Amino acid sequence: MDQKNLLYFGIIIALVIAVAAPFIASSNPDGLESAFFGVFGAKEVHGAELDEEAAGAAEEQVQEITGNTFSFDSPFPDYTIGGMEKAGEALIIAVGTLIVLGIAFGLGRALSRSD
Amino acid sequence: MIATVNYNSNTLVTIVHIPDAFIPLTQAAVYWVIALVFIALSLRWARNEMREEKVPLVAVLAAGIFAIQAVNVPIPWGTSGHMMGAALAAIVLGSPFAAVFVLTLVLIVQGVLFGDGGITVMGANIINMGVIGGFVGFYSFKGLNAAIRNPYPAAFIAGWLSLFVAALVCAVEMAIAGTFPLELGLISMGLYHAVIGVIEGGITAVALYLIYTARPDLLKSPAGVTA
Repeated sequence: MDQKNLLYFGIIIALVIAVAAPFIASSNPDGLESAFFGVFGAKEVHGAELDEEAAGAAEEQVQEITGNTFSFDSPFPDYTIGGMEKAGEALIIAVGTLIVLGIAFGLGRALSRSD
Repeated sequence: MIATVNYNSNTLVTIVHIPDAFIPLTQAAVYWVIALVFIALSLRWARNEMREEKVPLVAVLAAGIFAIQAVNVPIPWGTSGHMMGAALAAIVLGSPFAAVFVLTLVLIVQGVLFGDGGITVMGANIINMGVIGGFVGFYSFKGLNAAIRNPYPAAFIAGWLSLFVAALVCAVEMAIAGTFPLELGLISMGLYHAVIGVIEGGITAVALYLIYTARPDLLKSPAGVTA
């Protein structure tokens, strides 16, 4: 496969993954969150059950511990787009993928050596 | 409430992406300073080592890593995790600084546009995923590949190790922050990421196989190396 085809193939794979992501991704808490909920008593380390009330309290508790109350409203929080369901998530992750592609390409071109 | 720790909705919040509230601002600033040093070194890598014709490969790797990080795979204990991609980027592009370059771009887009990972703590996330992930992934691959002379098992172990070590470093940062007690943090982060590491290792090995099959020349001369 030549360089060009490899790259088109790569972009297509990335976009397929991006569009499929909201439909196949697990909504369980991730490793760091799960450890966090375990530490704050909202979940057993080896258990699957999450005590949602304790989880909410844990989030307030940790802000008191660290004092970091910085909050930032991202335009598409947690890969969601206002009012749209999974199709919107798929769209926004695909757009994000293309944005990363574009920034990396532009920055790479600006920095790289030509020889 | 922390927007990024949204545990009960169908979110794609991700591993080792530390939210703002988990680290005090002063410590977060220290991580940013360390991260900026590595970002500067990664820009120097890009300027000195990245050849123009390899730029599309760097861009596609960055895009692919962004996409695959949105896929949280369920693991036992009501938990999930996803790939980090730093080991893959470092191996394919032939430098740990390539991973810092790629992961920094991915983390900026995730944090700014999608609230995935905090802003004040982005330095810590860049250190864990880009620096630790990239350096552990690259040098363990190099050593293992030299020892066993087969890049795919080497890539699997390097991928696993890169994620596992990054998770342990994250647990230490959480302990310094006062968020987790050290021992419980290390045990639970270690346990979850030992399993998630299998995903990291598996995808690293498979992606490397596909890339090397399509472009055998990259195996002999990684994209960044000016042979």
